[in-house]
Amino acid sequence: MSAERLSTDPGASETGFRPRAGNPTYAEATARTAFLPQRPPPGPVPKPMVGSASDEVGAVQAAAAVARTSDRGARIVAVTIALVWHLAIGLPAVLAAGPALAVPQVVLGGWLLVAALGVIAGIRLLRDTPLPAAPLAGLLLVVDVAVFATVGRSHLFSPANWVWGTLAWFFLVVLWGRPVSRLLVLLAAHAATALTAVVLHGATGAADLARATMALYGTSSLPVAVFAGAAVLATLSRQRAATAAATNATVAEREAAERARHERGERLALVSRAATEVLTELARGQADPADPQVQRRCVRAAARLRRLIAESDDVPHPLLHELRAAADLAERNGLPIDLVTIGTPPPLPVRVRRSLADPLTAGLADAHDWARLTVVSDPDEVVVSLVTPDREGPDTTGHATEDGDGQVEHLYERDGKIRWTQTRWHR
Amino acid sequence: MDTDALAPVTSGRPVGVAIVDDHPVVIDGVRAWLATEPRLTVLATGDDPDEVLRAAPQADVILLDLRLHGRLVLDKLAELSSAGRRVVVYSEHSDPATMLATLDAGAVAFLAKHEGREHCVATVLDAASDRPYVAPALAGAMVGDPRPDRPVLSDKEREALLLWFQSMSKASVARRMRISEHTVKQYVDRARIKYTRAGRPAATKAALLARAIEDGLVRPEEIGIYRSRASTDQPTP
Repeated sequence: MSAERLSTDPGASETGFRPRAGNPTYAEATARTAFLPQRPPPGPVPKPMVGSASDEVGAVQAAAAVARTSDRGARIVAVTIALVWHLAIGLPAVLAAGPALAVPQVVLGGWLLVAALGVIAGIRLLRDTPLPAAPLAGLLLVVDVAVFATVGRSHLFSPANWVWGTLAWFFLVVLWGRPVSRLLVLLAAHAATALTAVVLHGATGAADLARATMALYGTSSLPVAVFAGAAVLATLSRQRAATAAATNATVAEREAAERARHERGERLALVSRAATEVLTELARGQADPADPQVQRRCVRAAARLRRLIAESDDVPHPLLHELRAAADLAERNGLPIDLVTIGTPPPLPVRVRRSLADPLTAGLADAHDWARLTVVSDPDEVVVSLVTPDREGPDTTGHATEDGDGQVEHLYERDGKIRWTQTRWHR
Repeated sequence: MDTDALAPVTSGRPVGVAIVDDHPVVIDGVRAWLATEPRLTVLATGDDPDEVLRAAPQADVILLDLRLHGRLVLDKLAELSSAGRRVVVYSEHSDPATMLATLDAGAVAFLAKHEGREHCVATVLDAASDRPYVAPALAGAMVGDPRPDRPVLSDKEREALLLWFQSMSKASVARRMRISEHTVKQYVDRARIKYTRAGRPAATKAALLARAIEDGLVRPEEIGIYRSRASTDQPTP
């Protein structure tokens, strides 16, 4: 039995069985959960409770996407109302009033400017790339002032003064997704402008003031309602999406654990078969217990079973557990063994753990007289070493090799006095 | 401080050793190990450090079992070290924390009991000449020292300690690191010297440092950087 064969998956050399790609094994799942962030404190937006940091970011992004999608309808409504009102009610009135306006060019120019701005801002909003709100809001207020100043006394309350009706909806378009308070500030500025214009135009009669107040109230309340309603709906859908993402993550975690259990069951069946075979042969007298080959088969089968146990039970460091199990076994076979561990290994993927442990368990199975097994760990490095006395015979482990990722170095040397096997993992 | 105890051991006379242990069978065993080396002579033995030293005040090196009558005698160790006694601690308590604590208390060397047969004579001889001797168990403790104020080891020093701890063969370490065995020992000893600044001050630490400078193991100006954060208020030896 060569070391190369021993250093593969348990069972792999016989059947070619390997954990399916993409299916995390139990150990990988536990290694992953060891890195889990603490459950976040309860807050308004529930965060996903399982998964790595990137999973969590993904879940939050998914929730945001859901919120954006559900918000889209409201945005279309707001943009449509603003533009349709502007075009269908504002424009005919301005054109009809025409020369009766104090400075028709400014009123019409303002209309054109706001129409262009509304189209661009609306498109950007619907494409999820809204324009910066502050300069647009400032521009709208400037137009507001200009139109009130140039519309003239006679058309102060007529539909030709289009800013009464339309401007609030454009505020909505440029401020979409931002706090309601900013909309209220803009509307207050709009109201101040309107009332100042009304006063400056001398329309200070009770009826005029009442008309102005009604117009402001009437044209502001609906946009505010739509804006606030959409904001609440977006928040609710984001929360619902986050909850759904958390639920999905929990379900995925449970499925991974169940799959890991299933895979362990399969591997147990494979290992059990190997053990059963050698035991049956022994019982039938077909295998000689004194035959070193048979003994080694037994040792290997037992080591594999123990390794399986090391994977399935809830131990903080499966690597140490595995090495301890191998050391126990070697000790039971009469080998005095010194096992010293320094430091605490970080969570390791099962593949790395196998690459670290397998050459040493192979060496242990072949050791005579004594063995020194040492593990030195820090968060970025794990070095496992086995020293046994050298003796005549073939090498017990393969020559220096590396695993597929080059993450685990495997060094072996013998100098006539000792055989030294060392595996080393770097982060 | 007992100046006689720290007087240099001349090549003419054998090194006087006192053994303090509460198990006569261990004393006999240690005596047997030391008997293989003509440059060593056991002057006194017993289970009480004070009595043993009264019997042999001229002892150059004290081999001290860290656990006497069921108690860890770190305080006694510190007292002996600050009095300038070269103490080699040997103990079955080979957990890294205990080993590092004995260095902090001023022990010249630490030997795990299972290392005694192989390393005892060399350790005592080096201790007598105020040179560090790092047996593999102590090397492991130094590599894995988790304390935030541990001395900063160079990559080579750490690697030499790690490989020495794991292989227990300086020849193998030298092959692995592609350097001479002498250089391996230098890396290991330099690492050990860096620990002389940790813990409480002791005359033995000063002697180790002085000898390390004399031997060219470290330069005087390098000593400063070994200072641990915990010991900034200690006088420079």
